[in-house]
Amino acid sequence: QSLEDCPLDEDEDAFQGLGEEDEDIDQFNDDTFGAGAVDDDWQEAHERLAELEDKPVANREQDGPGGEDSDLLGEPEDTLAERLTRLVIDSELEDPAIMQAVQTKVPTQQPGGLNSSIWDSSAVLRRIRGPLLTQEMPSVSVLDYALPQRPPQSREEERDPSERALPRRSSSPVIGSPPVRAVPIGTPPKQAAAPNFNQQILCPKPVHIRATMPQRYPAPYGERMSPNQLCNVPNSSLLGHPFPHSVSPVLTHLQRAQLLGGAQLCSLPCQAGRMSPSQFARVSGLVGSPLPSVNPKLLQGRVGQMMSPASGFRAFFGAPPAPSQPQHPPGPASHLQSLRPQPQMFRPDTTHLHPQHRRLLHQRQQQSRNQHRSLNGSVGDRGGHRSSQQERKDPYANLMLQREKDWVSKIQMMQLQSTDPYLDDYYYQNYFQKLEKLAAAQEVHGDGPKKERTKLITPQVAKLEHTYKPVQFEGSLGKLTVSSVNNPRKMIDAVVTSRSEDDETKEKQVRDKRRQTLVTIEKTYSLLLDVEDYERRYLLSLEGERPALMGERKQKICDMYDNLRGKAPGQDRPSDDHFMQIMCIRKGKRLVARILPFLSPEQAADVLMATARNLPFLIKKDAQDEVLPCLLRPFSHVLYHLPLGTVTSLVQQLTNLPQSATASAPTNLHLTAVLQNKFGLSLLYLVLSRGEELQSLDANTELMQDNQWTELMLMATRELLRIPQAALAKPVSTPSNLISLFSRYVDQQKLNLLETKL
Amino acid sequence: MNYMPGTASLIQDIDKKHLVLLRDGRTLIGYLRSIDQFANLVLHQTVERIHVGKKYGDIPRGIFVVRGENVVLLGEIDLEKESDTPLQQVSIEEILEEQRVEQQAKQESEKLKMQALKERGLSVPRADTLDEY
Repeated sequence: QSLEDCPLDEDEDAFQGLGEEDEDIDQFNDDTFGAGAVDDDWQEAHERLAELEDKPVANREQDGPGGEDSDLLGEPEDTLAERLTRLVIDSELEDPAIMQAVQTKVPTQQPGGLNSSIWDSSAVLRRIRGPLLTQEMPSVSVLDYALPQRPPQSREEERDPSERALPRRSSSPVIGSPPVRAVPIGTPPKQAAAPNFNQQILCPKPVHIRATMPQRYPAPYGERMSPNQLCNVPNSSLLGHPFPHSVSPVLTHLQRAQLLGGAQLCSLPCQAGRMSPSQFARVSGLVGSPLPSVNPKLLQGRVGQMMSPASGFRAFFGAPPAPSQPQHPPGPASHLQSLRPQPQMFRPDTTHLHPQHRRLLHQRQQQSRNQHRSLNGSVGDRGGHRSSQQERKDPYANLMLQREKDWVSKIQMMQLQSTDPYLDDYYYQNYFQKLEKLAAAQEVHGDGPKKERTKLITPQVAKLEHTYKPVQFEGSLGKLTVSSVNNPRKMIDAVVTSRSEDDETKEKQVRDKRRQTLVTIEKTYSLLLDVEDYERRYLLSLEGERPALMGERKQKICDMYDNLRGKAPGQDRPSDDHFMQIMCIRKGKRLVARILPFLSPEQAADVLMATARNLPFLIKKDAQDEVLPCLLRPFSHVLYHLPLGTVTSLVQQLTNLPQSATASAPTNLHLTAVLQNKFGLSLLYLVLSRGEELQSLDANTELMQDNQWTELMLMATRELLRIPQAALAKPVSTPSNLISLFSRYVDQQKLNLLETKL
Repeated sequence: MNYMPGTASLIQDIDKKHLVLLRDGRTLIGYLRSIDQFANLVLHQTVERIHVGKKYGDIPRGIFVVRGENVVLLGEIDLEKESDTPLQQVSIEEILEEQRVEQQAKQESEKLKMQALKERGLSVPRADTLDEY
């Protein structure tokens, strides 16, 4: 009997029927409707309920993930934060962009907390950070964002959760984005740390030191810090110079005193700096007993700057205090006099600063005092009378507050933070080094007064190695990874497929070959840049590391040479092909020119020979670029170290003259091409000149070599004579000893001819 | 105090009269009051200056807030040298009229050029992705 068949009428029978059916159905739900429900015995009912109670508890103890339903609300003492932290499996969370993770003590905790909207509540996220910061996290980088004094800071954070509850500006923490504190967003915060900003007025950032050596700053901060954080760090080197700690509490006290006693101070008569003892007593009383060293000068100087809106005070405090002091009656004079040396205490310690810096600071102090005196807030850099007059008439001046300017400049400085300035900011560093060298050179000559150029010191941060492991979550199906700024998700699987050689046409092969050459050039270039950088690294490295560095350098040089000449399997390098390919490309020629100084003499000679051998080909290819002359200087350096034998063979290569002098020699195209090209001719001259040098220096050279050389010379001179003057190229430089060279082999008449040609 | 020597920073330029050239070709002259890290500018007592040939006209605009990315260049105006300029200042109506005439002439010449090219079967690449001026 189904329910649907029964008519819904108010017949008792029908109802009974329904009841029966209900009973039928009730049989299925024994617990709810069965024996338990009908039972009138309260004791039994109670016992049954107690059984029910015990069952899930027993379940939970036995199998963790099983009893999920009954433990939804579970342990009320277990905070959401703790439960959440147990969720995350991976304890070594290096990704600062993702929320924190903790090693779970009892991994078998059910993820009941997932039901709550943990992802939405910012307060929860903040709370997470709370308990975690108190724990010892050895390698977690989120803490690197925290301020330098980590432990005390976390204590403060714990104590002040209300401050953290609301995000600073309108940015809310989102999973995957860097924490709020680390990023400067929007405008400077309204509630600035006032005492520290006072410090800024007197010691502005950035640091101006005329340093000759780039100084390494210790890394007091993490990688990224907001300007607000930089403000808050009291001993930050970025602040210019650290204040003694005594100053900041004094200022806060003063501030408070000012606020409290504002009304009372206002009532003091506006005398020009005069303070009667009664007034003074009142002032000191206001400030409070723990500060016996309260100085009226301090009040005047500092407070005037701090409370600029309170213009009423300024008129009073702005007046110079110095002349007023001696005028006091002798009674409280001793009291006052005891305080006279106080200004020194409160003046910041500037002895360690560069004199220029100190001067600037004091100038600034003076300026700011002047400003307050004249009730004018403009920052007059140009100390001209005209400019100050104009600024006085400008009622809209200084709409941008000093601290806002500092804030912007701090952001700009932050952007210059780098772990390796030579890598990140190469051209800037190089340019200023050159300038300094120039200035130093000028000073050596004693050129009048030194132009003290302030140099911007870019903050250097130590490099922190991070390996970002993606976060994994427990209880999820499969591997859920949170992709963030630091470990982005892989979107596309790009696979490189190499084509088979058969399909390619000749053109494609040529193109590929050229591409390969280009790749080789690029690889060799990066090796070259590394090798060139070794000198600098050598200077900066420790003693122990140096041999390793040298080894690395040597290896790289060998690699470069191999790249240049092509890794031929045979002992002899049979083909110049690889080298020629490189030399056909403009960048390749430049590369060779730069590499030559690093090669060993044999290797360099090898390169030289290869060039000489194929010079006409190279000349033809270089017609458009005309870059070959750049090789002249390194070649000449190489030549300087070559022995005569090599030079001889070099000349032979260059001129392509046969060893034995034959009477009817066909026109020597090789030599002609060489002579008609600027580079070729210059190179020839260089080689000849070197040969001449060696000849004249070395009295007892081998006879064989001598013969060869003489023959070559004879032939060379014959060719030179033959070629018409017009066809000769204009060499870069004509060595002076060529005439003496030729004088050995030719008679006077021909010598004159040669002379005119050269 | 020299803010960030050796670098370019606008902090030194605050409260000074500047000439700002925008990407859409407008020229603004005003007192630079405030900046931020993106070089967004707040210009006070701004005047838009329209140049046509040897003449120019100033339209007072008030306060401008310029988004940094739209600035081509800006430079400080030397108040002493500001007045000795070979250009002649005219009224707003006149300069706007001049500008309209100039625009018209330009459009006509452009049209003729396009037509000539079309006749020859050539085409000028459209500068869609480039800035207008």
